[in-house]
Amino acid sequence: MNYGETINRRMETLMMIERSKFIRCHTCEAVNYEGGKEEFFCRRCQSKMHQPKYISYHRTWAFLITAIILYVPANLYPILITKQFGVQTESTILGGIIHLWEVGSYPIALIILVASVFVPLLKFIFITYLLISTKYNVNSSRVDKHKLFYITEAIGPWSMIDVFVVIILSVLIHFSGVQVFPGAGATSFALMVFFTMLSALSFDTKLIKKEN
Amino acid sequence: MLSNQELDQFIICKKCNTLHQKIPLHQGGKALCSKCNTLIYRRDDNMVEKTLALVVTSLISLLIAFQFTIISININGLEKSLSLLSLFAVLLEHQQYVVGLMFLFLIVLFPFMMLSSMFFVLFFMKIKKYSYAVKRLLILLSHLKHWNMLDIFFISLLVAMVKLFDYARIEVGISFIAFILTLGLELMITKDISFDELWRNYKQTYGDINDDRTE
Repeated sequence: MNYGETINRRMETLMMIERSKFIRCHTCEAVNYEGGKEEFFCRRCQSKMHQPKYISYHRTWAFLITAIILYVPANLYPILITKQFGVQTESTILGGIIHLWEVGSYPIALIILVASVFVPLLKFIFITYLLISTKYNVNSSRVDKHKLFYITEAIGPWSMIDVFVVIILSVLIHFSGVQVFPGAGATSFALMVFFTMLSALSFDTKLIKKEN
Repeated sequence: MLSNQELDQFIICKKCNTLHQKIPLHQGGKALCSKCNTLIYRRDDNMVEKTLALVVTSLISLLIAFQFTIISININGLEKSLSLLSLFAVLLEHQQYVVGLMFLFLIVLFPFMMLSSMFFVLFFMKIKKYSYAVKRLLILLSHLKHWNMLDIFFISLLVAMVKLFDYARIEVGISFIAFILTLGLELMITKDISFDELWRNYKQTYGDINDDRTE
């Protein structure tokens, strides 16, 4: 019992002093102790834990910028093309939302507005903020940044809703007279979501830690 | 330097990154983060058996969901049904290869791979064999978990149904119910299981085969 107590006390003091040296492995969630080495591997799953900080930083920027560039055609090109007896009408994401609002289906208009306009924009803003604030040591709580990153990761895939809806509609409304099919906007939107997810995944939470 | 046993006493909250020291729990107990109240770990002695049963069931219902008609609509006598096969046929016909490929991976392959590798992990742990395969599968699982979009597909399905509600008569198929079942089970699985717990279990079943390189 005495031995256990000593260990307990030892760990408590360690927690007090070197809190920031404990790192959570991305892959297996094991707690690792960073011993000041340049490169080390997770004690449990042997995946690489430590890479030079700038790699993660630049990779995240690269994916983010790709996603922002793709966001432009995703909004300008039609996501949905309707062919009704030879007459072709195209609708973009925003156009579709406005149309839904005018028709009166407010809940769906809101769902799509949040999923395909707000979520990507929020992700852009969050990741940019995280990158800039970790680079220039902006004074804000570290816990908040971790929470922000957690939210960014969680909301990411939900912007795919619009693309899936378009795909489902294009399968169901596929008659000789009336046809619906996805346009170029759908492709670039799907790619945009893909790259924002990659960008969030490549962001290293250790960047947050290193600020002080 | 700290040993593995000592490090295993710690846990870091996945949401706010706060370091905690573990305390023993009673069976079925939960531990919450002291800062943000997120669930950080729980004790469940029958986790492997329970999750294995859920995984097998959801694997079966996933295969059913992929096989049959999800919904079919009827507009003034014109009928059309949505199944996974017709979905890919239409996407290929419209030459939407990028979207089709993403769809194939995010909706079909990744959820299936996730459930089947979960099954193999738990099954191998149960019979206490193939430690290397279990380890690779656990690493694979941790990468896959971000890319499973089955739940989002289902929400999109509901949105599409509401959109069509005014023009068409909608009938739900077998796959629709199978989808609901799969998603419900998947929710239960992800709620029950934690990767930390799985890895701990892995260490317990197979012992310290791999010497630790951190020391």
